[in-house]
Amino acid sequence: MKAAVRVLFVSVGILLALAVVACGGAPPTAVPTNPPPPPTNPPAPTAAPTPAPVSTSAPAGLSGEISFYINEGADEVEGFEQLAEAFEEQHPGVKINLVNIPNDDEFDQKIAALYAAKTPPDVININYRRFGQFAIKDVLIPVDDYLKASTVMKIDDFYPQVLDAFKFQGKQFCIPQNISSLEVYYNKDLFEKANVPLPKAGWTWDDFLNAAKALTKDTNGDGKIDQYGLGIAPSTIRLAPFIWAHGGELVDNVDRPTKLTLDSPAAMEAFQWFVDLQNKHHVVPSKADEATEGDQSRFEHGTMGMYLNSRVETPELRETIEEAFEWDVAPMPSDKTTATILHSDGYCISKDGKNHDLAWAFTEFANGPVGQSQLAKTGRTVPSMKRIAESNDFLVSSEPPANNKMYLDMIPNIRRVPVATTWLEVEGALNNEIQRAFYGDATVQEAVSAAIQNTQEYFKQNLTDLGSQ
Amino acid sequence: MRRSFPLRLFHPSYRTQLVLLLLPFLLGVFVLILLPMAATFLLGFTDYDLFTAPRWNNFANFGHWLVDQLFQRALYNSAWFILIAVPLRVTGALVLALLLNRSGRAFGFARASVYVPTIIPEVAYALVWLLILNPGFGVVNLALQAFGIQGVPWLTIPFTARASVVVMWLFQLGEGFILMLAALQMISHEMLENAAVDGANRWQRFRHIVLPLLVPTLLLLSFRDIALTFQGVFVTGLLTTENGPYYTTYFLPHYIFDEAFGLFRYGYASATTALVYVVTLAIVAGQVLAMRRWFRLEELD
Repeated sequence: MKAAVRVLFVSVGILLALAVVACGGAPPTAVPTNPPPPPTNPPAPTAAPTPAPVSTSAPAGLSGEISFYINEGADEVEGFEQLAEAFEEQHPGVKINLVNIPNDDEFDQKIAALYAAKTPPDVININYRRFGQFAIKDVLIPVDDYLKASTVMKIDDFYPQVLDAFKFQGKQFCIPQNISSLEVYYNKDLFEKANVPLPKAGWTWDDFLNAAKALTKDTNGDGKIDQYGLGIAPSTIRLAPFIWAHGGELVDNVDRPTKLTLDSPAAMEAFQWFVDLQNKHHVVPSKADEATEGDQSRFEHGTMGMYLNSRVETPELRETIEEAFEWDVAPMPSDKTTATILHSDGYCISKDGKNHDLAWAFTEFANGPVGQSQLAKTGRTVPSMKRIAESNDFLVSSEPPANNKMYLDMIPNIRRVPVATTWLEVEGALNNEIQRAFYGDATVQEAVSAAIQNTQEYFKQNLTDLGSQ
Repeated sequence: MRRSFPLRLFHPSYRTQLVLLLLPFLLGVFVLILLPMAATFLLGFTDYDLFTAPRWNNFANFGHWLVDQLFQRALYNSAWFILIAVPLRVTGALVLALLLNRSGRAFGFARASVYVPTIIPEVAYALVWLLILNPGFGVVNLALQAFGIQGVPWLTIPFTARASVVVMWLFQLGEGFILMLAALQMISHEMLENAAVDGANRWQRFRHIVLPLLVPTLLLLSFRDIALTFQGVFVTGLLTTENGPYYTTYFLPHYIFDEAFGLFRYGYASATTALVYVVTLAIVAGQVLAMRRWFRLEELD
């Protein structure tokens, strides 16, 4: 009998040991693995995906907790923490479990595992370029009815093109937090030192190139360039605005793409012009220099005149540059027309989440006037809500950039990549070819042919996916 | 009295003790390795996106390999990587073990140094290499510069990027090194001394006594290393070369990760993982056969 007790002890010990092993074997995530929220039996019928939400006018009805997953850098996460806290203060008894996973791969892995386990993030912040991948899986809920019933926001409050980026088969899925775009961050001190006119609205490709040339310098006379005029990543989302500005197109149909259309003369010319920045004019860091120090680091250290990125980097630039030099933002230069590319993340609600009403209430708060003003003040976003974007909460700040109005002026020129289920694969294959051309390992002609050929399968897959719906 | 209490009550037989002691390990193997393996094999025959229930699609996943250029590239890269890295790692472990199998404080330190790169966390290891191979201020290029040689951006040229990943993997041969060291120390000194008395020189002693006695260990190590390398260099490669340039350091583990978690093709990724399992099992079978044959030959001698 007592021997049996002993065996029991041993078994318990083994189980404990196993538990330790299992925990130790988990992938290294730097985040607390929040348990899924317990089912909180919301008062509204859970099965109906279209309850008429009365949550905002009667906050007392909200209870429970939800998880909110974001994929942000260290300097950006604070804004989201404040957002969650402000919501919790408004609604006592409600808890937002904010989880930030800065590393893209880890984020993907964690999200996939959570959805597979049917315990998805209640609210997830994703980029519109990834949205199609989720939408096709039918794991998000459309928010049209919530939006119609909302007293906090109306469809007309938002810039239409950014809502479109989160539409799938006619339904609105996510609420975009921002309408950011690609812009030119520039070092004002370097421009003034080199006597180059500051960039301004309507500046041309020639102005842009001349500035880049004037700012590319060997400052210490050792025969090596140590200040570059321009930093731009050779990738689809950086090249695209140049193609559009020159009158070319990325795909044949942005709503139902079937192929890349980079082989048109306009697109090829723009691509060539883009590649020439490296191979002909040498105004961007060479391959070796790029590997020595990345563009953003160069810009932050004051050794790069212009750096192309979206609004997302503003909090980090404020943090790292401090008072070292003056910087500002300028619109993308114009060619035959003016064009830039949409950068936007949206709050999406998971179908398998346990508390849709609370998830919506938080989404509504975060993207309503209060939440959007709050996040805009951190510098992270260009608000997607018109009246917040046009308010001083966004336009006026004691910290750079000063030219916030530029983002709003550029909104009519914002274009976007298509929503497709396989879009990230298309980008992956195209990025590889853009890099080959950019670093002189292929001609533009070769890169374009290879890109068109290598992406055929993905476009076909997208059409199959859409057809099977 | 209280201390010896449990022991007096429980006197298991030797066999029971063995089973009990092995139980945690066997349970672990079952729960953490065999079950997931079986699940992977089954999922390999399905269309599974992690969101909706898996659907059988028979052999479609395997057929997709034929048209999937990225898969083919990753497989090709992995195969080349094994062909080059494994012989280097095994030879390296043997040579280092031969050199450092001596007593003395300096040798103890040297043995520890050989082992350390193996136990450094992968991310830290990758960051160290990024510094060493940095084209502008890395140690390698600065050293070359001192001799008037122009360095290259090691991690961004296809050939040197591949070579760099091999070198990074080469330095992590600590486990093989320990194994060789243990095998060397099991060789009886008397036998070597007798051979020396009979007039065998260093090389002859190595060639005719040490090497034959090491063959089982070398075989074991080679097969184990192939299996390990097939799945290795995941984090280091990812962080240093970012799979590039142009997918030249894109290996099967990276590919499987991207398919499963980046693109939600879990069924297809499972099929590819199953391929890795099958190849690994074939290698283990080869190992067993080779060992048997070796021992039979030895008996005949």
